[in-house]
Amino acid sequence: MVRWQRSLWLFFLPSFGLLALVLLWPLAYAVYLSFFDYYLGAPERTFVGLGNYAGLLGEARLWNSIGTTLIIALGSVGLEFLVGMGLALALYRLGTGARVFSTLLFLPHVVTPVVATLFLKWMLAANWGLVDATLLTFDIEPPDWLGSPFWAKVSVILADAWIFTPLVMMVLYAALQGLDTAQIEAAKIDGASDWRIFRHIIVPALIPAIIFTISVRLMDVFRFFDVIYVLTGGGPGTATETITMYTYQLGFRMLEVGKASALGVITLIVVAALLFTINRTLTRIYRRGDQ
Amino acid sequence: MSNHALTLGGRRNGYGLFLALCLVTFVNLVPLLWAVLTSLKHPADAFTIPPTIVFEPTLDYHRKVWFENDFFRFLTNSLIVSLSTVAISVPIGSFAAYALSRIPRRSAGPILSVLFTIRMFPHMLLAIPFFVMGTFLNMIDSYPLLILALVAINQPFTVWLMHGFFLDIPRDLDEAAAIDGCNAWQAFRIVILPLARPGMTVAALFSLLLSYNEFLFALVLTGAKTKTLPVAIASFGGEDVSAWSLSAAGAIGIMLPIVVIMVILQRHLVRGLTAGAVKG
Amino acid sequence: MAPLTIRQATKSFGALKVLHGVDVNIEDGEFVVLVGPSGCGKSTLLRLIAGLEDMTSGDILIDGRVVTGLHPKDRDIAMVFQSYALYPHMTVAENMGFSLRMQNVPPEERARKVNAAAEILDLTPLLERYPKQLSGGQRQRVAMGRAIVRDPKVFLFDEPLSNLDAKLRVQMRAEIRQLHKQLKTTIVYVTHDQIEAMTMADKIVVMRGGHIEQIGTPLDLYDRPANTFVAGFIGSPSMNILPGEIDPGGLSFSSAKGTRIVLTQPLEYGVGQRVFLGLRPEDFELSQDGFEAVVRLVEPTGAELHVTLAAGDEILTAVFHGRPDIEEGATIRVAVATRKLHLFDRETTLRLGARPAAHGEPDGSERQS
Repeated sequence: MVRWQRSLWLFFLPSFGLLALVLLWPLAYAVYLSFFDYYLGAPERTFVGLGNYAGLLGEARLWNSIGTTLIIALGSVGLEFLVGMGLALALYRLGTGARVFSTLLFLPHVVTPVVATLFLKWMLAANWGLVDATLLTFDIEPPDWLGSPFWAKVSVILADAWIFTPLVMMVLYAALQGLDTAQIEAAKIDGASDWRIFRHIIVPALIPAIIFTISVRLMDVFRFFDVIYVLTGGGPGTATETITMYTYQLGFRMLEVGKASALGVITLIVVAALLFTINRTLTRIYRRGDQ
Repeated sequence: MSNHALTLGGRRNGYGLFLALCLVTFVNLVPLLWAVLTSLKHPADAFTIPPTIVFEPTLDYHRKVWFENDFFRFLTNSLIVSLSTVAISVPIGSFAAYALSRIPRRSAGPILSVLFTIRMFPHMLLAIPFFVMGTFLNMIDSYPLLILALVAINQPFTVWLMHGFFLDIPRDLDEAAAIDGCNAWQAFRIVILPLARPGMTVAALFSLLLSYNEFLFALVLTGAKTKTLPVAIASFGGEDVSAWSLSAAGAIGIMLPIVVIMVILQRHLVRGLTAGAVKG
Repeated sequence: MAPLTIRQATKSFGALKVLHGVDVNIEDGEFVVLVGPSGCGKSTLLRLIAGLEDMTSGDILIDGRVVTGLHPKDRDIAMVFQSYALYPHMTVAENMGFSLRMQNVPPEERARKVNAAAEILDLTPLLERYPKQLSGGQRQRVAMGRAIVRDPKVFLFDEPLSNLDAKLRVQMRAEIRQLHKQLKTTIVYVTHDQIEAMTMADKIVVMRGGHIEQIGTPLDLYDRPANTFVAGFIGSPSMNILPGEIDPGGLSFSSAKGTRIVLTQPLEYGVGQRVFLGLRPEDFELSQDGFEAVVRLVEPTGAELHVTLAAGDEILTAVFHGRPDIEEGATIRVAVATRKLHLFDRETTLRLGARPAAHGEPDGSERQS
């Protein structure tokens, strides 16, 4: 680098120094803890090597949580993507007035997730929630939104979608606005139908935005805590217990911090692997699309 | 400016779309609207079958939640935590982002990738060691640890956001400043920083929003004294139906400042969130 | 005001070598123009002088002092950027006084110097304005004002006029030249426009591909270009350069495309050799002793007539002054005086032979490889 700018490296110090201290050190500490059988508050901790990992990987509860995580992930990201894309296209097509709509539609994303989840909880609460109360008025027996293992998963998916679809919508909408209209108009003159235009011109052009959104959302699902904690607490039983919720239970309810750390490390590895795979696959699709 | 490229069937289609969007937006906002209504109801009106839409509103519960239920104290905690986070996170993030924008591209690339990776860390994994260390150091239920954690979590996004803004400031200015007698710090402080103000405002807003809304770390690291608003409202949950009006009032109260900020600065918020996503 | 010496300046960006051991000597107070096509390394050389890039090897000396490796602020130079690089959030006065502020010069003296420079450049009414309120020409002058206030040993200009429209450019050229006469500071000026080079420079350095092709005064380069590149680069419209042979006897030239050009006087050198023949458009004369050519295109500019000629398969450009009666499609006879011919070796492209210098001037151009 140019000599007169060499002192720029010092500029990195506060930020990256802090990151190293506050993120890497705890990370290392967490990995360290994961090798111990440690009940927080107990005077001693026992070194168990990979015992925690082995134990977890042998547990049904762990695999159950992975399964739940996957179900919720695929459900919510899928839903968010479809609805988000639809809304983005609608806004794009609308032209004037899109600003007002986009602001209003974006609202659920900006509100504190905990608060947003409470709003939904009051909608879905048994008997007295708005949804139930309305259905009961018409003598329709409502499902147990938060109490039935199946419907609880649905509720979590809907909640996640409600909060995060606006983000997907905004990113895709911004990408749409960057589209080259000349290409679309040329296709129209050639007589292409809306669907064909969508499939062959719009989608390929949006691929970077789509890859970004799907990657980020999938990653986020693994860090997802606020909504599930407030909506179902992981329940009923362990019906909506994702990896993150299970880690919380282990670490902060059962105070088994060693085991919780191990689970955290496992989560990290899964997320890293997932990120890597998604990126590779989608980029490959992208490249093939180019040809 | 409507996109004629996609308009088919002209007007008729336009109206249909408009109505559909109105409907979707309304449905989308129902939970919000319902909560607002609930916050203004007496508990008796709050849970009825069929749901009550016409009622006699009261601001009692709004008043109660702030003055009798300690929410002002929780607000203070939230403000202390989020403002401190912003005050630290944005300056140091800007430093790093500026340097990142000036070093050769091939050096900057890996650093940005690392930042992105850090952004993807599961927070739960970090919450545990923080909790353990906090317990040992007796720093649970105090501000510094939480602020530190939030600053760190904020950095990748802040740096990435500011990096984009700094790239837009031409390097010519750095060179002119160098020739005019500035070292790197002086060039940054006197020439570049004033031009980055709009970017820093956006970054500050985002930091503020994210730390105000933060739940997990706040839950884990705060106690009765330093409880922030999100933690407080979560425990107002709502198993107890009779407390609905109160909790709704609290929730709406928490939400209002955000909505106001958002409506005023929507363009900046959206630009920040979508920047980089579109170009991939 | 100080002499500037560039010694064996070499610059590589990674594996790409951009400057190949370049040497330039600049006298105190000289106006030197670095000129050449895009990518020739002229801007890189300027930035090396400024200290904005690190030299891979070599030295730069300003006023006898080695400045290689010094921070730009310690070299006592000032630079005018192509984009002007004015500080947008400061007024014109603050922009101009900035370097003094960095040196902790007290405000009164700062104001004095800024006002003095503003006077010279006609900027006094604009001192409290912001850059975005100024026109391109005004911004350019503020950039120069900022440089003048520094009172540096060397002024560096990096294509300062390329963002201006043609008329303004002509005006600014004169103003810069005027400024130089007034301040007598050493100037190094980079441009890709050879007209700017010719009209402004005391000395021109022609560069190509990281090498220096020729260094000399404008007229040196015009009268005695050292190779075909310089010959074709300097002068507008460009010199006609034809590959071919001087026929035995030295009375005519046969081009590679078969055209035979009869010479007005026999050549004393290059006879029988494979050469490039150079004919400047402005050296063409209508002459019955000359060679035949068909007029393809006539472009009147008012003061001149630009004529495209076809002599056999060779296309030539000629410029005539006044309004000679030449019509498209007609066949005319033209000639170029032998002493105005330029001959270059076919293999090396270097200028051939001792063409007698006009009016007994010494042949003073330098040629570097």
